[in-house]
Amino acid sequence: MNGQGIHACKASDVAPGQQKIVRINNMPIGIFEIGDGEYHAMLNICPHRGGQLCEGPQCGTAVNGGDFGIEYGRRNELVRCAWHGWEFDIRTGEALADPKMKAKTFEVSVHGNDLYVHM
Amino acid sequence: MIVDCDCHNYWSSAEVLLPYLDEYHRDYFTRGEQPGPRGSFPNANRPWLHPEGFKRMDINPETQDEQYRIMKEKHLDAYNIDYAIMTGDEAMEASTIANPFYAHALVKAYNDWLIDEWLSRDSRLKGSIMIAPQAPDLAAQEIRRLGHRSDMVQVLASHGTERPYGNPFYHPIFEACAEVGLPFAIHLGGQGGINTNPIAAGPTRYFWETHALLGQSAQTHVASMIAEGVFEKWPELYFIVIECGVAWAAPILWRLDADYKALRKETPWLKMLPSEYFRRNIRFTTQPLEQPETGVEHLWSILDAMYGRETLMFASDYPHWDYDDVQKLHIPPEWRGDVLGNNAMQVYRRLQNAGVNTTAAVETA
Repeated sequence: MNGQGIHACKASDVAPGQQKIVRINNMPIGIFEIGDGEYHAMLNICPHRGGQLCEGPQCGTAVNGGDFGIEYGRRNELVRCAWHGWEFDIRTGEALADPKMKAKTFEVSVHGNDLYVHM
Repeated sequence: MIVDCDCHNYWSSAEVLLPYLDEYHRDYFTRGEQPGPRGSFPNANRPWLHPEGFKRMDINPETQDEQYRIMKEKHLDAYNIDYAIMTGDEAMEASTIANPFYAHALVKAYNDWLIDEWLSRDSRLKGSIMIAPQAPDLAAQEIRRLGHRSDMVQVLASHGTERPYGNPFYHPIFEACAEVGLPFAIHLGGQGGINTNPIAAGPTRYFWETHALLGQSAQTHVASMIAEGVFEKWPELYFIVIECGVAWAAPILWRLDADYKALRKETPWLKMLPSEYFRRNIRFTTQPLEQPETGVEHLWSILDAMYGRETLMFASDYPHWDYDDVQKLHIPPEWRGDVLGNNAMQVYRRLQNAGVNTTAAVETA
């Protein structure tokens, strides 16, 4: 983990499926919890067209259920950009439709009820 | 100078139209069967529904004041838009309604609401006179009723239609446009209902698949407007194609020119090549501009082949899911001034007399 973390918010401010957007070093950052007890941070600027990436819903998506059926999966693991709806993997920042397109992510550390983002 | 040629002004419920409807049609609206929840516009004919909704997810106005405030903050002020041409939204779906009198009453009410609730708020906002094209004579009446207002800059209909727009059935509309000196614009939409299926070979099943193909009906309208001699009858008329894609235009023009040369006797009223009418009378808005995976230079050469520097006009499609940011538009840098504003100023002649509202002409090249 790089350098000194910067305080972002309280862990209790972030619930699975309900990201919190904070400003750190004057940069807008989305803090996410996807239900695995770990926290994730992502720059609120979409690499596709600069939209408000983290203001879209935290959600799952359709996964191919085989034989061209649809199943819902990956609950809370994705954020869908508020502008154009591209789906990004919250853990890696990768766009599902185009892995070359990668949102900037940061590591998060937890100390008690405090979250720190490492930039 | 930035002119946004496709900026959607929403309502939170179609009930905002009630005060503008006559008693008879108010009864229709309030007592009649509704396709959706209370307050919905009678447009349940739409066959393809966006699985995430049409709007940008960071824009959620609830009141009319918020509708304007958010557009002003997140769009007009944020990008120094000099003029934004209002293209409504649901109101365009009136073209799918079978009863032409009801359809006409709805768009007429919408136009009055647009003037009161939007155009009066900000001099950067300019209106489109919405018409129900299935009733061309009534549409012409509406164009003449509002067509001399300085804050109305075009006539607007959906691109889903009963027949191609060049058909003489629609000529009363163009006659009225020419009389009041306004361009005629079509915007993606109005599929279903009484309108023919806009997707050749039968209906597609998924939204994104369909959205990518909706240029098909625009192709038909472009060919029809040229072939039926609309631009010989009204040489000054501009025909504006909004949100139907642009990169298909050049190859269609190549075909039209080549086939016309062989078969010009079918349409002896034409005096120029189809592509020459296109260049003189037809304009396209940018959003959604095609985004080739293989490199933006492919797009630029196609735009060049459709005289893009003269024929393209910037559109954001605010606040829809495929919104374009002024700064991120893929056009050749030396075209930016023309595409972002100059071309629109020529087409929307009424803006020329309105004067520029903001002094800061932002150069974003």
